[in-house]
Amino acid sequence: MNAMSVNWILALPEITLALAGLVILVFGVLQRPGKGIGACTVLSIAAFVGCAVLVALSPDGAAYAGTFVNDSFARFMKILVLLGGLVALLLTVSYRTDERAPLPFETAVLILFSTVGAMIMASSANLMTLFVGLELSSLSIYILAALERDDVLSSEAGLKYFVLGSLASGLLLYGMSLVYGYAGTMEYSGLIAAIQQTTALPVGLMVGLVFLVVGLCFKLSVVPFHMWTPDVYQGAPTPVTAYMAGAPKFATFALLLRVMSGPFGAMAPRWQILIETLSILSMVYGALAAIPQTNIKRLMAYSSIGHMGYALMGLAAASTNGVRATLVYLAAYLVMNAGVFAVITAMRRKGREVTSLADLSGLGRTDPGLAAALAVFMFSMVGAPPLAGFFGKLMVFAAAWQSGLYVLVGIGALSSVIGAYYYLRVVKVMYFDASAERLDQPARSLVFVSGSMGLATVFFVLALGPLMALARQAALALGG
Amino acid sequence: MPSVLGDYAPVLVFGAISVVIAAAMLGMALVCGQQKPYPEKVTAYECGFEAFDDARRRFDVRFYLVAILFIIFDLEVAFLFPWAVSLSRIGLFGFLSMLGFLSVLGIGFLYEWRKGALDWD
Repeated sequence: MNAMSVNWILALPEITLALAGLVILVFGVLQRPGKGIGACTVLSIAAFVGCAVLVALSPDGAAYAGTFVNDSFARFMKILVLLGGLVALLLTVSYRTDERAPLPFETAVLILFSTVGAMIMASSANLMTLFVGLELSSLSIYILAALERDDVLSSEAGLKYFVLGSLASGLLLYGMSLVYGYAGTMEYSGLIAAIQQTTALPVGLMVGLVFLVVGLCFKLSVVPFHMWTPDVYQGAPTPVTAYMAGAPKFATFALLLRVMSGPFGAMAPRWQILIETLSILSMVYGALAAIPQTNIKRLMAYSSIGHMGYALMGLAAASTNGVRATLVYLAAYLVMNAGVFAVITAMRRKGREVTSLADLSGLGRTDPGLAAALAVFMFSMVGAPPLAGFFGKLMVFAAAWQSGLYVLVGIGALSSVIGAYYYLRVVKVMYFDASAERLDQPARSLVFVSGSMGLATVFFVLALGPLMALARQAALALGG
Repeated sequence: MPSVLGDYAPVLVFGAISVVIAAAMLGMALVCGQQKPYPEKVTAYECGFEAFDDARRRFDVRFYLVAILFIIFDLEVAFLFPWAVSLSRIGLFGFLSMLGFLSVLGIGFLYEWRKGALDWD
C-alpha cells in the first residue's frame, strides 16, 4: 500500500473526530483534577457537529486498499450514530452522581472514541475493519459502564458487560475465521464472488455466518443473547445508558445490514429463517419480560430488546424495502429513545437520582411539561399514529408482509399490543396515581433535549418524505 | 476452496511436531529418570527461602496497573522491530505511519503520567 491508494479524504470524518478526541484528552488531563469538565464536553459537542458536517459532505468511494468504504448507506448510519452520541453528551452536562460530583472529563472523550469506532463499523468493507471498529466502540463502552466505580451496581455493570462482551467478540472472531477458511478472503467483494462461484455451499461457511450473527446480535442485545442488558442498563450512569441504547446499536445494525445483504446476500433464503426467529423471540420476550419491571431503566432495557426485534424484521424481509424500513425504524427509535432517557436523567429528588416507576406518580400534576414529553415518547414506542414510532413500525411490517413473512408480521402485531400495556402503564402512573413528592426542577439541557426530541417525535411525519428518500438511496447503495 | 485449506498443511505439521517433542521430553524424564522424591525436594521453591505464607492473598491493584502499562509498551516494541528492519523499503509513508502510532501512544503516556499511574504512593 502506498500513500496514494489510501484515499484519506474518505475517512476524514473519523480521522477528525479521533484527533479531536486526542486533543480533548490532553486538554482535560492538563487541567487540575475536577476542573475543565464542562470545557471538554463543549469541545466534544463541537467536534461531533463538525464531524457530522464532514460526513454529509464526504464523497463516495473505497479507501485503505478496499477495507473501508463510504456510500450513502454509511453516511446515513454515521449521521444516526453521531446524533445518538451528541444526545448522550448533552445528557452528561447536568448529570451528577449521588455524591453530587459530575462525571469525569473522560466521559466525553470515551463517548467520542466509541463513536469513532461506531463510524468505522458503518464503513467497514472487510471483516477486519468490522472487528476493529466494533472493539474500539465496545472497549470504550465497557469503561463508560463502570464509570461510577464506587457504586456497586455500576462496577457490576462494567464487569458483566466486559466479560460477556469478550465472549461475544470471541464468537465473532471464530465465525470470521471460519468464513475466511472457507471463502479464502475477508473482503466483502471477495466474499460475494466466492459465494457466487460455489454451487454447493460448504457447511463451514454457514456455521461461520451463524457465529458472526451471534456475535453481532449479542451487541444488539437480541434474545437469546440479551442477558446482560437489564443489569448493565440499570447499573450504568443514565447518560451512558442513553448512549448504549443508541449509537452502538445503530452501528451494529449497519454492520449486520451490510454483511447480510452484501457478502451473504446470495444466501438470503438460508439466513432469513435465522433472523426471523431472532426477531420473533426479541419482540415477544421484550414485551412479556417488561411487564413486571418497576425500575424505569430496566423497563427501557426490555423495551430496547423489543425494538431491536422490530428493526430486525426489516432485515428478515431481505429486500431493499426491508433495509429502508429498518433505517427509518432506527431513525424513529433514535428520537424517542433519546427523549425517554432525557426524561429519566431529569428524574431527581433532592439532588439524588430516582429510577423507580413509582417516583413518576402524579408527574402530570407536579411537572406537566416533563410528563407530556414522556407520554408522547411512550405513545410513540407503542406505535400510536401519527408519532414517530408508528411510521417505523408500519414500514417494517409492510416490508415483511411484502416478503411473505405473514407469521412474523402477525406475531409482531400481537407483541406490539402486549407491549402497549407496560408503555401505557407509565402514562397511567403519571396521570392517574396519587402524587409522589415533587421531582427537582430539570436542568435546562434536559428540558432542551426532551423538548426537541418530543417535537421531533410529534412532527416526524413532516420529515418522513426526505427521510424515506435518503433511506431508499442508502438501501440501494447496499444492493440488497 | 480446498486449496486454501491446503495452504495450512505446514501449520498442521508444526503442531504435530511440537506435540511429539513435548511428549518425548516429558515422557523420557518420566520413564528413564530416577525418581526419589522426599519432602524437601517437593516443597514450593521460593528463591531459596521457606514459603512465607499462603499464595492466596490479595495483591495491591497497582501491580496489575504496572503489568498492563508494561504490556502496552512491550507491544509497542514488538511493532517497532519489524518497522525498523524494513524501513528502507516502506519509505516515507511507512515512517510517518509509525510516527503517527507513536504519537498516539505518547498521548496515552502523558495521560497516565498526569493521572499518577506511574507514582507508587
